[in-house]
Amino acid sequence: MRKRKRLRFEHEPQGLILNSLVDIALSLVIGFIVTIPLFFESGIFVNAPGVAKAGASDVSDIKVNIHLLDDGAILLNEEIVTYQRLTELLPELLARSVERKVIISTEAYVKYERVITVLDLAKQKGAGQLALLRSKR
Amino acid sequence: MKRMANIDILPMACVGLILVLAMMILAPLVMTHTQTQVDVPKAHTSEIKTEENLTITYTIEGRLLVNDIEILPEELDQVVAEELARDPYQLVIVRADKDVLHDDVLEILASMKKVGAKRIACATKRPKGD
Repeated sequence: MRKRKRLRFEHEPQGLILNSLVDIALSLVIGFIVTIPLFFESGIFVNAPGVAKAGASDVSDIKVNIHLLDDGAILLNEEIVTYQRLTELLPELLARSVERKVIISTEAYVKYERVITVLDLAKQKGAGQLALLRSKR
Repeated sequence: MKRMANIDILPMACVGLILVLAMMILAPLVMTHTQTQVDVPKAHTSEIKTEENLTITYTIEGRLLVNDIEILPEELDQVVAEELARDPYQLVIVRADKDVLHDDVLEILASMKKVGAKRIACATKRPKGD
């Protein structure tokens, strides 16, 4: 009977083959890079509230003043608007404004979430600066 | 046949990758102070800044925390002023629960401005699927 010759490598592989481990680790790194920002909080930069005397300005700019009422109503430059109408008017006003500044004030019992929603909307529609106004009560 | 003398760098690469992973996970946890659970409002247009910051947390129960250490409301000005004395350009993040009154948050923001905070941000999170 013919004896089968056993196949032998010239160089036997030594140690562990870590290529697949490195591949998995690299995939994990990429996975973390992509997903980590989703788990952490982000933020909206605001100008802190202040009560200041308005000075006379040489240049008259389009003003975007938003006032939120306790009952859920929204005043845009002292006119009542719906949220839908606000989304339509904001880009038009901001497009004509030089400073693109949005000033937001509220009544006493407005929830924080509503203000952030309006700040977010203003940013989406092109606001350059966001300011929160605090009225003396 | 002459054998090539090579240095096996795969284990080193593995250790390096594990270190990178550990750093990536730990760095944001060390640099941010978000251990106190607060349901922050959602926003689409937020910016992410991973830097050393001063985090003021205001919970729905009315608790006030600076860098996850609870303080009394009357201590806020002093604590923040001490922190800002070290770095006036330090980012101040206000993490307030979405259901608190905006007036209360305004009080905190006004205090920050009074003690000289130059960079103030309101913490938000991205809506799911955004």
